[in-house]
Amino acid sequence: MEDRFIKGMAEILEVESLTKESRFDEIGADWDSLAIVSTIALLDECFEIMIPGAKLAEVSSIDEILSIVNQNIETI
Amino acid sequence: MSKILDTSVYLPEKILTNKELEKIFPSWSAKKIYTKTGIKERRIAAEHETAGDMGIKAAENLFQKDIVSRLDIDFLIFCTQAPDHILPTTACIIQNELKLPKTCGALDINLGCSGYVYSLSLANGLIESGAANNVLIITSDTYSKYINPNDKSVRTLFGDAATATVIGSSSSKESIGPFVFGTDGSGAENLIVPAGLFRLPRTAKTGIEYKDSSGNYRSSNDLYMNGPEIMLFSLKEVPTAIDSLCDKSKINLDGYDYFILHQANTFMLEALRKKLKLPPKKIPIFIENTGNTVSSTIPLVLDNLLNDKKIAKGYKVLLCGFGVGYSWAACHIQF
Repeated sequence: MEDRFIKGMAEILEVESLTKESRFDEIGADWDSLAIVSTIALLDECFEIMIPGAKLAEVSSIDEILSIVNQNIETI
Repeated sequence: MSKILDTSVYLPEKILTNKELEKIFPSWSAKKIYTKTGIKERRIAAEHETAGDMGIKAAENLFQKDIVSRLDIDFLIFCTQAPDHILPTTACIIQNELKLPKTCGALDINLGCSGYVYSLSLANGLIESGAANNVLIITSDTYSKYINPNDKSVRTLFGDAATATVIGSSSSKESIGPFVFGTDGSGAENLIVPAGLFRLPRTAKTGIEYKDSSGNYRSSNDLYMNGPEIMLFSLKEVPTAIDSLCDKSKINLDGYDYFILHQANTFMLEALRKKLKLPPKKIPIFIENTGNTVSSTIPLVLDNLLNDKKIAKGYKVLLCGFGVGYSWAACHIQF
C-alpha cells in the first residue's frame, strides 16, 4: 500500500519519480492546496485514514506524511 | 407521492474559459486547469443580472415547452444564496414577474450545494400533505459576484446558472423520497462569505485584501473556501449519507441506475466514486462547460439526462447534494 501511495503522490506532484525521502521543494513539486486536497483523497483510498489539511500543509516529504499516517493508525 | 413533471435550465451568456484564466494566472495553464478540475469553461452572470433574473429565465424556458402551465403552479420555492434584496423575499418578486397565480405560496431557501435535494423534500412534503399540487423549484446562484477576481482557487471552480423543476402529484409508481438529511455547522467557516451582513457588517477593514499561502487574494467581503476541509467532509459524510439512504429505500447500491452527486469538481466526484466502489457510468459528470453551479448542479445533470432520454421508466436514481454549511441531503427518485 505504501508503494501505491508513493506512486499516487508522484502523479499528484507531477514528478517522474519519488522516494520517501524526497523533499518537495528540492524536486520542484508544488505543495499547494490542490496537492493537499488530492493527497487527502489518496490517503483515504490507500490507508482509509483522514488527515486534516492543516497538518498536511506542514509536511515537506512523503516520509513526514507516512509518519503522520502511522501515528494515526497507532492512535486508532 | 410526487414526481418530476418537467425541468429546464438557464445559463448566462458570458463564458469564462480556461484560456482566459491562464492569462490572469500565468502559472495556471488551461491544460492544467482542465486536468485538475474537469472544467473547460464556466458561465458568468452579467453585471446587472441577478440570481432572481436568471431564475425567471429558467422558469420561462420551462413554461415555453408547454408541458406545465404557469397557471397551475400553486407553490414556488426559490433556492439561492444571492437574493435580489435582503427583503422582500425574492420568490415574491419572481411570482410577480412570472405572473404566477396570486394564490401561489412562495418562499426563498438559503442553501447551496444541498439546496436542490432540500427543495425536493419540501415540495414532496407539500404535495403529500395536500397543501400544494404543483410546486415550482427554482435554483439560481451568482457565486461569481462573491469571488475576488484574483482568487484563482474559487474563480476556477464556480460558475453561475439557474434551473427550474416542476414537481406534481403522482398516482403511478413514480415517486420522490425517502430522504436523509445532515447538518454540521462546525464546518461553517470552511465555505463562507464572512462579511456583508449582521455577523460582520462590511467596513473599510473587511475590504482589505490579503494573500494566502497559495498566492490567492481575497478580503473578508469575498468567498473563501478551505478545499482540503471540504474534501475531508465530503469523503466522510457522503458515503455515510448514501448508505443511510439505501437503508431507508431498501435498495442497495447495485440497485441504483444513477447516482447524481453535487458536481463540485471532477476530482472529488472520482474520489467519491472510488470510495463507493461504483462504475463510472453510474456517476454522471456534467461540469465541463458550467463549473460548480452550487444548487443547480444536480438539476443540470437531471435535465441533461432527461433530455438525452438516458433515464427510462422504472429507473432508480439517487441524488446527493453536499457542501456549504455544512449541509447535505440525499434522496431516492423512482422514475
